[in-house]
Amino acid sequence: MSETCPHLEYREEGDGRSFDVARAFCTVTGSFVQPMRADVCNARHGLDPTTDCEFYVAPDGGTAER
Amino acid sequence: MTYDEYLDGKPVVITAALTGGVHGKEAHPDLPETPTEIAEAAAACERAGASILHLHARRENGERAFSTERFQEVTDAVREATDDVVIQHSTGGTAASNDLRHEPLRTDPAPEMASLDMGPLNRYDRLTSENTRELVSSLHDEMRERNIKPELEVFNDGHLNESLAVLEEFEEPPYLNFLFGGGTTSPPHPRNLVNRVEGLPERVEFNVIGLGRHQLPMTTQSLLLGGHVRVGLEDNRYYERGELATNEDLVARAARIAAELGRPVATPAETRELLGLRGR
Repeated sequence: MSETCPHLEYREEGDGRSFDVARAFCTVTGSFVQPMRADVCNARHGLDPTTDCEFYVAPDGGTAER
Repeated sequence: MTYDEYLDGKPVVITAALTGGVHGKEAHPDLPETPTEIAEAAAACERAGASILHLHARRENGERAFSTERFQEVTDAVREATDDVVIQHSTGGTAASNDLRHEPLRTDPAPEMASLDMGPLNRYDRLTSENTRELVSSLHDEMRERNIKPELEVFNDGHLNESLAVLEEFEEPPYLNFLFGGGTTSPPHPRNLVNRVEGLPERVEFNVIGLGRHQLPMTTQSLLLGGHVRVGLEDNRYYERGELATNEDLVARAARIAAELGRPVATPAETRELLGLRGR
């Protein structure tokens, strides 16, 4: 069972934007994520952020793939 | 489905794809996500000339939703806000389970149409929407049971092969939707649409999607080849370079171009007759 990404936050503001309802925000890319990507962040539908997200970095260090 | 049909002034069906399932308000602040927002956009697009509305459902925070319950909220709001437009539900859903993919078909009433992705496509760097033959068949079976007209989503030539191989299984006329853009969609060039159309059986009706900046040229070319068009923020966020669009503006432009080119915009009634739909 995959776990929600440690880099996922729900914010109403960030990246120069604001929303009425808190949205998925990636602290690695510093941006709100697309709804389809949010399913990866939340490990829904059997998705795993550690393998299915190209921006994932291990919490103990590493570099994001860009 | 031919240049002769263009010359004969065949009505053009305009589909508006209001929301989609990929991007949201992080990409376009006015992209409709809630049932109320989608219904408002639906009404505006119907007034502008759309006779089919392609619908997706979202969660409160804009994330993807596939459940019958969420689709029911959206379709109820759209039915309330519109007069006679044809409602089409998406059954697409990268990574969603096969069971979830069926849920948009189970609203009450059922949609008149639903999309049917005809094969695999890639998303981002690491995701693939598999759309196995088994899933395609099971979705089509349920559409038949519920009298829902499938729109065959042909992202590339492989999907065209798949579609033509099972064309006899589809009620007249089979309705194929050609996608031109990046990734695993078809390379966006006018010659590729001409080539695609020349090889189609006569009984097929076709629709064209151009993603991003290809929306305007590819849909315009479809008008000249007797095809139909889909526009909207699901496929393209911009009216022109640097200027964000609205769904209504994109529909209005498509209707205006069609009229200028001698293709009258099909009413919902004409659309139902042309595509063999059961009625709202």
